Amino acid sequence: MSFSYTQENSIKIASLLNRYPQKKALILPLLWLAQKQDSYISEDAMGHISEFLNMPYMHIYSVATFYTMFRLTKPQKRIIEVCRTLSCELNGSEDIKKYLDNNYSKEFEIIEVECMGACSGAPMCTVDGKYHENLTTEMIDEVLK
Amino acid sequence: MITRIVSNNFEIPDSHTMDVALSNGRYSSLKPVFEKEPQELIDIIKASGLRGKGGGGAAAGNKWQIVSDWEGTKYVVVNADESEPGTFKDRRILSLDPHLLIEGIIATCYAVGSNTSYIYVRGEYEEFSDILQDSIDEAYEKNFLGVGAQYRVDITIHRGAGAYICGEKSALLESLEGNRGHPRLKPHSPKPEFYFNEPTLVNNVETIASVPFILENGAEAYRAYGTEKSPGTMLFGISGNITKPGIYEVEFGVSMLEYIEKVGGGVKNGKKLKAVIPGGASTPILPFEMLKEARLDYENLRDLGSALGTGGMIVMDEDASMVKALKNLLRFYHHESCGQCTPCREGTSWSDKILDRFVAKRATMEDLEMLRSVSKTMNGKTICVFAPAASGVIDGFLKHFESEFLECIV
Amino acid sequence: MKIIIDDRAVECEEGALLIEVMLKNSIEIPHFCYQEDLGADGNCRMCMVDIKGMKRPQIACNTFVSENLEVSTISENITEVKRSILELELLNHPVDCAICDQAGECKLQDYYMDFGLYDSHLTTAKTKKGKHIDLGSNVMLDQERCVLCTRCTRFTSNITKTGELGIIGRGDSARVGIAPGRELNNPYAMNVVELCPVGALTSKDFRFKQRVWFLDSTKSICHGCSRGCNIHVDYNETKYSDEKIHRFRARRNNKINQSFLCDYGRLSYTELNESFNGEVSHVKDLADLLKEDKKLALVSPSMSLQQLQAIKSFCKNNAIELFSLAYIDDSFGDEWLRTNDMSANFAGVKELEINYDEGKFNSSLQDAHVVINFDHKYLKNMDLNNKRVVHFATSHVDSDYELIFAIADFAHDSGTIINCDGIRQDFYATKYESSNPRLVDILEELR
Repeated sequence: MSFSYTQENSIKIASLLNRYPQKKALILPLLWLAQKQDSYISEDAMGHISEFLNMPYMHIYSVATFYTMFRLTKPQKRIIEVCRTLSCELNGSEDIKKYLDNNYSKEFEIIEVECMGACSGAPMCTVDGKYHENLTTEMIDEVLK
Repeated sequence: MITRIVSNNFEIPDSHTMDVALSNGRYSSLKPVFEKEPQELIDIIKASGLRGKGGGGAAAGNKWQIVSDWEGTKYVVVNADESEPGTFKDRRILSLDPHLLIEGIIATCYAVGSNTSYIYVRGEYEEFSDILQDSIDEAYEKNFLGVGAQYRVDITIHRGAGAYICGEKSALLESLEGNRGHPRLKPHSPKPEFYFNEPTLVNNVETIASVPFILENGAEAYRAYGTEKSPGTMLFGISGNITKPGIYEVEFGVSMLEYIEKVGGGVKNGKKLKAVIPGGASTPILPFEMLKEARLDYENLRDLGSALGTGGMIVMDEDASMVKALKNLLRFYHHESCGQCTPCREGTSWSDKILDRFVAKRATMEDLEMLRSVSKTMNGKTICVFAPAASGVIDGFLKHFESEFLECIV
Repeated sequence: MKIIIDDRAVECEEGALLIEVMLKNSIEIPHFCYQEDLGADGNCRMCMVDIKGMKRPQIACNTFVSENLEVSTISENITEVKRSILELELLNHPVDCAICDQAGECKLQDYYMDFGLYDSHLTTAKTKKGKHIDLGSNVMLDQERCVLCTRCTRFTSNITKTGELGIIGRGDSARVGIAPGRELNNPYAMNVVELCPVGALTSKDFRFKQRVWFLDSTKSICHGCSRGCNIHVDYNETKYSDEKIHRFRARRNNKINQSFLCDYGRLSYTELNESFNGEVSHVKDLADLLKEDKKLALVSPSMSLQQLQAIKSFCKNNAIELFSLAYIDDSFGDEWLRTNDMSANFAGVKELEINYDEGKFNSSLQDAHVVINFDHKYLKNMDLNNKRVVHFATSHVDSDYELIFAIADFAHDSGTIINCDGIRQDFYATKYESSNPRLVDILEELR
């Protein structure tokens, strides 16, 4: 199955091309758009980007594997990311993780991540990328209902 | 105690929208800015003593001068890859007062002679970069940006995708060029950074957001705050075991304990204060005994063996396990090392694994020795300061809380 | 300009790279990522030196020399620094030297013996990575042995610009590799094996065949095309078996091939092991044949100047019309090392004014009664009906020519050739005696 960007995304890409001195700079934006479109970055998408930028496939792949937010396999469930770094841990992130694992692991993929820059809202998590801070178990239930 | 220079509009509802921004003083600095020659502006920044607020604290004016003097197409890159644990200040600017940042970028571009700016926002901050994008769109509509502007500046948001190391300016530029975020070898003489081989200024969000006040009110107005060597204010953050975690702008030089008590509301649940990591995870921890003298400025914290860093304090109370805390941070460094150079790639991973043995209370004296030895190897032998920071973190914990580590030895 | 390295004054040029100055002056400096043709990358941190006036140790591959620079590579401090970094390089290494082909020419081994020599301090599990991954083009990868110096990835990115190799992942799980479903596929791929300072990249062609310390080595020139890439011929003779050539390695020549070879040339050593094992004719029979008239000789353009010269006088003395024909393959050459002219010494043919006019050759061939072929590859494609054929061959032939003489190949007969750019180069015979006589000796016998 071959990959192509939607018309909307193609228009975005065309405008981005004017914003950078070299085409190559578009790798991250192109990977993001591919992930937005398909929920992950497929081999076909990377192949498309490689051809579009006239760069070796391996370069695209190597870049994609460097950044932890890029997903190279199709997620089977919605994603919850729980911050585990110090301020969150000091405020009970481990309990939050346990609670999520025990109650929501069927519907969600629950991932621990490093500091999300929400330390004043510790403990925190994201659901589908959206921040939820000052978590309590009640709040989790409310958000995930 | 709170001084509002950068955070002036934070509490005004809808301050991210153009109308509210304009009626609250945004873009007012541009008139006096465009009346001056670029070099005059650089001189004002130099005179103000403005220091980079991303962690390093380098003099902003010197950076500007170097970029301004270097031949080539110039770029201004705003570092919004805020990922230092305990740091969440730039996010406030992006979402609560994005027009202040845009205004600062326009002035900075004019001063150093650039027409193109990128804001590299960490990928996780999608909600906040969306707000920023709306504001940029508004600024284009109002002709503050783009072809219709008095001085043409184009701003593009570039989203990161989950890599702490991209907060390191040369790694950020690598990433902005479409590469893996590997830091570059450091130059031997003063040089600007380079984006596709063109001279580039990289400044933190808060640094740029401080520019409008200085250029509008003059260097002395900025110097009225803070200390001689650390002039002005900073968006200090506080989190961890604290009653009122948050971002509070104060002038440099205030007492840390006073900050913790007065604006942070003291340690949560009336517990005793045990230690503070003063400026983001990468600054060495300070035990309570040393905090009496601690003031929030570069020099004082350096003299105490730590650093001001990003100004994001992590407070730990009497119940906090220092072994667990160090494990938490070493896991972070292990996860975030870019893997380019050996001492960091192997050292961060090994030290993290050694800590597992302490957490499990199965460590040996040799483990402790190895931890010290790995820390030494990570310090001063790598391309960037990531590994030395990890090393400083280890040394800080072992220096001030050695007994807790000894208790984990069988 | 002078700088001081370990209390010794060293002459060098202002602004030169310190590591290059050191290597040029044979001063020991451990390094993985720096390679003369790929340049510095600064990632391995092995080439650290103390520099007077600088607080921290510096890497020699990112230090540019200036007047009166004082460098120490042997101070107690710097030895400890190098030892500690080496320990980290080796930390997750499987230490499987006993089954590793790189053993004996491995930088990790060398440096460990030079200044490592510590006991392992690792009390935790080693990081697991991929093993025996077939990358394609005869290259096998063991990620656990890799020190991530990126020589191989820089080779495919910057030199061949094919970009098949790259770093995957990040931090301690970063590893060299190819993208899933893809392969290493370019005419120079096997250079990465030689570039690899450790046992991470090995040659499928050479693996598990020989221990390098049992190999002898002779300086030679690749005969695969007219570039004249400089090579080492690695060979040995074992009990109960004849000498065998095991590999060609690139030998540095900055004017020609730097430190590289194409895979075709690199693997062309196998021809040298196809020794002639048929019955060989008597020189006396050839002497008789020479009494015939209308004799024509065809000589391979890969023969050495010495051989060509001997053939030329032989033909002159015996009234033989001498030709050579070029080996041209328009699909072989590229913009780097490979040339369409697939002979080693066509420039020599021209220099000795040997006739290489194909039309003239064809018409002479029609009239010829006797054809003497000096190892020219095209003979087998020619119509030789009703002609008496003499064949001098370096490797086995299956045809029933009237007379066949086995002669020593270029690994067993020293000589000189001229490459496509007019550079004269000598190559040498291996130390073992060839089972076949040298061509010049046979011709000498005929005089």
